[in-house]
Amino acid sequence: MKTVTLDVNGKVFCLDVPDGELLIETLRDRLGFLGTKYSCLEGDCGVCTVLADGKNVLSCLMLTVEAEGRKITTIEGLGQKDLHPIQQAFIDEGAVQCGFCTPGMILASKSLLDAHPSPTQDEVVHALDGNLCRCTGYVRIVNAVLSAARKMKKTP
Amino acid sequence: MPILKDFRYHAPVGVDEALALLHKSKKPLLLGGGTFVLNTLKKTAAYPTDVIGLRKIASLHGIRDAAKEVTIGSMTTLAEVASSPVVGEHFASLAGAAACVATTPLRHMATIGGNVASRFFWVDLPSVLMALGAKVAWAGDKAKKTLSVEDFLSLTGPEARGIVTEVLLPKSGLTGVYFRHTQTMEVDLPLVAMAFAARRQAGGVKDVRCIVNTTLSRPVRLTGVASYFETKKVTEWKADEAADVLRRDLEQGKLDDYRLHCLCADLESLIDKFKKA
Ligand SMILES: Cc1cc2nc3c(=O)[nH]c(=O)nc-3n(C[C@H](O)[C@H](O)[C@H](O)COP(=O)(O)OP(=O)(O)OC[C@H]3O[C@@H](n4cnc5c(N)ncnc54)[C@H](O)[C@@H]3O)c2cc1C
Ligand code: FES
Ligand code: FES
Repeated sequence: MKTVTLDVNGKVFCLDVPDGELLIETLRDRLGFLGTKYSCLEGDCGVCTVLADGKNVLSCLMLTVEAEGRKITTIEGLGQKDLHPIQQAFIDEGAVQCGFCTPGMILASKSLLDAHPSPTQDEVVHALDGNLCRCTGYVRIVNAVLSAARKMKKTP
Repeated sequence: MPILKDFRYHAPVGVDEALALLHKSKKPLLLGGGTFVLNTLKKTAAYPTDVIGLRKIASLHGIRDAAKEVTIGSMTTLAEVASSPVVGEHFASLAGAAACVATTPLRHMATIGGNVASRFFWVDLPSVLMALGAKVAWAGDKAKKTLSVEDFLSLTGPEARGIVTEVLLPKSGLTGVYFRHTQTMEVDLPLVAMAFAARRQAGGVKDVRCIVNTTLSRPVRLTGVASYFETKKVTEWKADEAADVLRRDLEQGKLDDYRLHCLCADLESLIDKFKKA
């Protein structure tokens, strides 16, 4: 057991966790951030995506003890008052079908747009290469990211 | 039910501290970015007693640019390698190969040290590093030394117990190219890949290194192909001749027709590239 201090969505949590606990387990099962999903648990699908210091990473491949000292953002950390422009764009462009991949897609998009505010279509596709959509709505997802990028540029 | 069985996790802040833990633990396991090893733990029976995370060792992070070489700390992520201006300027084939490994979130986590130290046949970077003449700085149980990538990959048993601290790349002015083929999607593991590097000189090339990487064996150096390119002027290079030499080089390699076809196509692109340059 280790005592860890985790910064999740700007809130600090002090927790006792087994050394071998994965971040996805802590986020979902201890802290109730259910937007982070379980699926392949092998790094293939991206539904467990969170941001660590602003970069999209996979919480099924990170020990909770290794998340200490990083700022973790889950989908619940976005748009805490109003929807984030990327979330709004996903709705406006019809990029959500069953919604299972959506939190991971949105966080991967945020990681991209924070670093590259005006990506090309190819750059968006490349940035989302770690996120699978089982409903296969990729065209609308890419359109939503491009549309969010345009809107975010207009309203800084 | 927890996904992983429990172990003791350690976060040393220095290489010597990590080595001491490695030495005294019953069944230790080093943790780089964890992208490979944490997956393995979900399936293995040979479970570690102690996991030694290297993340907090500051000296293992970052890219240092010196007059004659570039040094990449083993905990530098593949995303950092791919986007580094210094790596891009001097070792474009390495930056390109790092950008092709797996997917964006995995590249944000996976490290260059973990890629090399995993010693898996098919991983992308060892062949590129071999072509560029890179060396691995290795802190072993008994001594610290610098090894060629090939020598590092052939360490076995207790000799192989230790920590990759850095990858050293000489600024030798080589032009490098990396080709990789996957079964279905671009983000898949490479089924076969070829790393090439050479120094251009009037009308031809010298110091040619051509390394093939497959899921079947450790990277293989194609000595026949290298000497074919070295002994002819670029204008005399012919794809079908080079392909014949490649087939001879790989006679023992048990490569299927598809993989051989990919490699021959790579030679054609390579020749085209050098002829146009
Ligand atoms: C879905 C998926 C796709 C992948 N696709 C690719 C791909 O296309 N190409 C590719 O090359 N790889 C691929 N990989 C494999 C892997 O992610 C990479 O090889 C990665 O670079 C491993 O680095 P890591 O830091 O995560 O290593 P870890 O998982 O932390 O460690 C890997 C091994 O190296 C040891 N180790 C780690 N760091 C050190 C060190 N500094 N010194 C000594 N030993 C050390 C560990 O003990 C372990 O045995 C893929 C993995 C996944 C999950
Ligand atoms: S659950 Fe983490 S990548 Fe699939
Ligand atoms: S919307 Fe259903 S998985 Fe993507």
